Amino acid sequence: MSSHSTNIAIVESSQIVYEGLINILVKSHQHYQFYRFDSIEEINTTRLDCKIDVIIINPSLIQFNSRDCNTLKRINPSVHWVALVYSFYGKDILAQFDAIIQISDSAEYIKQTLSNLISSTAAEIDSVQKEPLSEREIDVLVQLVHGLSNKEIADKLNISIHTVMSHRKNITQKTGIKSQSGLTIYAISNKIISLDSLAL
Amino acid sequence: MYKTQRTYVKPEMKMAGLIFENPTLLLMMEHFDLGISAIQDKSIEQICNDNAINLQVFTSFANLYNGFIPTDGEFSSNDEFVTIIKFLSRSHQYYKNEKYPEIRGYISQLYANNEAEIIRLIEKFFDEYFAEVTEHLGYEDSVAFPYFNSLIESSKFNQVNNPFSANDYRDHHTDIESKLFELKSLFIQHLSLKGDRAIHRKLLYSLFELENDLNIHSLIEETILVPLVRQIERSRGVV
Repeated sequence: MSSHSTNIAIVESSQIVYEGLINILVKSHQHYQFYRFDSIEEINTTRLDCKIDVIIINPSLIQFNSRDCNTLKRINPSVHWVALVYSFYGKDILAQFDAIIQISDSAEYIKQTLSNLISSTAAEIDSVQKEPLSEREIDVLVQLVHGLSNKEIADKLNISIHTVMSHRKNITQKTGIKSQSGLTIYAISNKIISLDSLAL
Repeated sequence: MYKTQRTYVKPEMKMAGLIFENPTLLLMMEHFDLGISAIQDKSIEQICNDNAINLQVFTSFANLYNGFIPTDGEFSSNDEFVTIIKFLSRSHQYYKNEKYPEIRGYISQLYANNEAEIIRLIEKFFDEYFAEVTEHLGYEDSVAFPYFNSLIESSKFNQVNNPFSANDYRDHHTDIESKLFELKSLFIQHLSLKGDRAIHRKLLYSLFELENDLNIHSLIEETILVPLVRQIERSRGVV
């Protein structure tokens, strides 16, 4: 189940700072989804229907709460940590973060910092966007719909089983559909195959 | 979390206020065998007292519907265990007797303006999906739940005959969720349905409602019930 937006958790007690930050970030070219929390612990105990990609947090909230912080890092190791800094912190504290936003930074700089951070993730997201199936993927789809196994498809199209499986994975990623009966409906409604060609 | 703006539920809160905020709590109440008439001006604590429902379970589940996951070890008593199983069984009745027939009915109405062959395939897809769901719910009702109940009733307990596997359980859930996702993808992205928009909307709303309740249902079974079963099994020396 892919989503095209980056999910950002903001842990910040000041309403002014929170709203200001969101206002800056929604105007950037990335798609961001924001979730506001009062504490790290709250992130751990909230039922989220998405995976958090970035956490922006005031470092003072981490200093006193390393246990919840470590839990979160264990559960979700790929999350990027950004410090939102408006007072002095020692180097050793700031070194724990992947990026730092200062309260005095310009809007441009803040947007840039965030988009640099997620650019590697964004590349991945692009690859699962809904694109049309390639010719070869359509070939594989047609055989799948006719009920052939991976091995039979490989023999028929003269490709390896490994390649068949990788085409299948792409088909599922592009269409959101995995089962044979689901793919049949997809193929017929997109006029890739006709009903007559199937013995139903 | 402020995105959903929902309240963290506590026993002294008025049920009516919580339902104004999150109407899916009505469905949760039905799973506890409570209707609208139970609400009146009562607090959660009063409702639970009046209807002999375990307060801890009710509060935790209300929080789950409001988006908060229970923390480990919230449940330990037999009374809680029995309440949870009753809740899950009643949810099964809702899926089987109400939600699936409702969705099936909307799909049949699509014949009026769409290619019959395609709608027939959708019906087939849905019927196969529904058969899978019924089989899983049947497994829970006839195998898993009776086994769980036998754990806390010494006289019926049969150590040798342990038919339950937590891994099978999880696989079933994953499969049910992924088929539901396919169905939504087909309707939203691939089928270009024609005709009565109101029916398309009702059909999709219905799928989303089902999905939301199924998600919570799986969450209860996997994060609350199964660990609780393990705990009781250990205390009885089963594993």
